[in-house]
This record gives sequence, structure tokens and C-alpha cells, in this order.
Amino acid sequence: MTGTTATATQIYQVFIKASPERVWEAITRPEFTAHYFHGSRIAIDAQRRVSFAPDGSVRGDGAVIEYDPPRRLVHEWLSMYDPDLAAEQPSRVTWEIEPREGGYCKLTLTHDRLEGAPKTAQSVSGAGWMFVLSGLKTLLETGEPLSA
Amino acid sequence: MLWEVNDDRVFKALADPTRRRLLDMLFARDGRTLTELESEVEMSRFGVSKHLRVLEDAGLVITRRSGREKLHFLNPVPIRLIHDRWIDKYTEGSAAMLAELKKELEEEQ
Repeated sequence: MTGTTATATQIYQVFIKASPERVWEAITRPEFTAHYFHGSRIAIDAQRRVSFAPDGSVRGDGAVIEYDPPRRLVHEWLSMYDPDLAAEQPSRVTWEIEPREGGYCKLTLTHDRLEGAPKTAQSVSGAGWMFVLSGLKTLLETGEPLSA
Repeated sequence: MLWEVNDDRVFKALADPTRRRLLDMLFARDGRTLTELESEVEMSRFGVSKHLRVLEDAGLVITRRSGREKLHFLNPVPIRLIHDRWIDKYTEGSAAMLAELKKELEEEQ
């Protein structure tokens, strides 16, 4: 998907057949994120979110703003792997996990405060978050990473 | 609601030209009000609102309140999931080739 005019707020939503605790674990622990987040090993605690590339370099580093397992996580977003992206203002990512009937969770991801980060907005829009969230769903529902 | 049958809602939501047009409009510029969307479609406010509701039920549109306004955002994830489900790594090559062939043939006309 190209040609989109990335805006200051982007919202993505997916239903996942898993408990809120499992969804939370898959978002916050590196052994899970490595399977669906472009190979990134992402560790999130109540203070910071740090993302490492498979070669060990830092892809992203940001403060955790809200940490309320297994329901709500808010963190800063600043991409470090590209100098143009790293020079932009930090934006904000909110994960909301709501349990639904039938063992499902509604996962809503809001990436906002992108006004000062147009290149970041472009890089995460379209296939970016979509690929991450569909990969997360596949991993949790089948136990297997999405074939690339 | 049974989320297993959500694919049906997505296909149904996509099976209408006005609703596809609304998705294209949000793709071009996300986070728009009903008034903004209505101004670009030849249809009553009520009609557009009904179509947006179908898109929202299918998870293709998400709404957020911003002050007194209700903003509509495109959620492309359900379409991606259908893509993942139907176009796997074995068929992607030939599907892309056919899409390319169609484009070339149509450009020749």
C-alpha cells in the first residue's frame, strides 16, 4: 500500500483468540516479538521499551508512559535504525487489550502524536503495523510465526 | 458476536462501491468526520452514515471522539488477514503476475 497520506493519528484493531495475559506477554517479551516484529527483540517493563535488531544493534528506545498489565500499555516511539527517523520528535503508541466473548481479545493499537514525525508516520503506516499485528495474531493463534 | 465469522462481514462490507469509495477516501486522508466524507459522496448524510456503520461492524473503520467530533479511521488489518488467509507464499507469485498482466492489457486499450 503506497500513496497514503500518513496522518497524525493511526488506529489499528485486531481480534485475537487468546487471553489478555498471553497477548500482553507476546507484546512485552523479546522471545515473542522476535517472531513477528521484523525480527526485533523488544523488552518492555514499567520504565522503558527497548528494541534490538537480530544483530544486537538498538532499533528503538523510549520511555514507558503507562504500564497496566494485561490491559493497557503506552510508550514513546522513536526509531533509531535510520538517522532521518531518529532525528524526528518521539511519537506515542498505545496498546489496549479488551477481553471479549469466546476467548477473544480486542487489541487496539493507536499510534499518535505523529505531527512532529512525518517520516516515522510514513514508515509505520500501511503495511507497517498491519504486518506486525497480523503476525502477532498468527503467532498467538497457531503458535507459528507468519511465513514471510 | 462470533469473531470466526468476521470474514463474512468484511466481504459483505467490501461488496459495495460506495463503501469501497469511503475506504479509499480514508486511505487518502485518515481521521475524517461524517460531514467531510459526506461532502465527497453523492448520497444523503443518512446513507453515508449507514454505510459507515457497516464498515465499522466489519472492523474496517474505527471511530474516535475528538471533542465534539467523531473521527473515522481506516483499519486495514482485516483485509490483511484475508490476504494472509487466501494468498499464501505459494500463490503470491502467480497472483502478482496475473495482476500485472491485467494492468498491462488494460493500459493498452
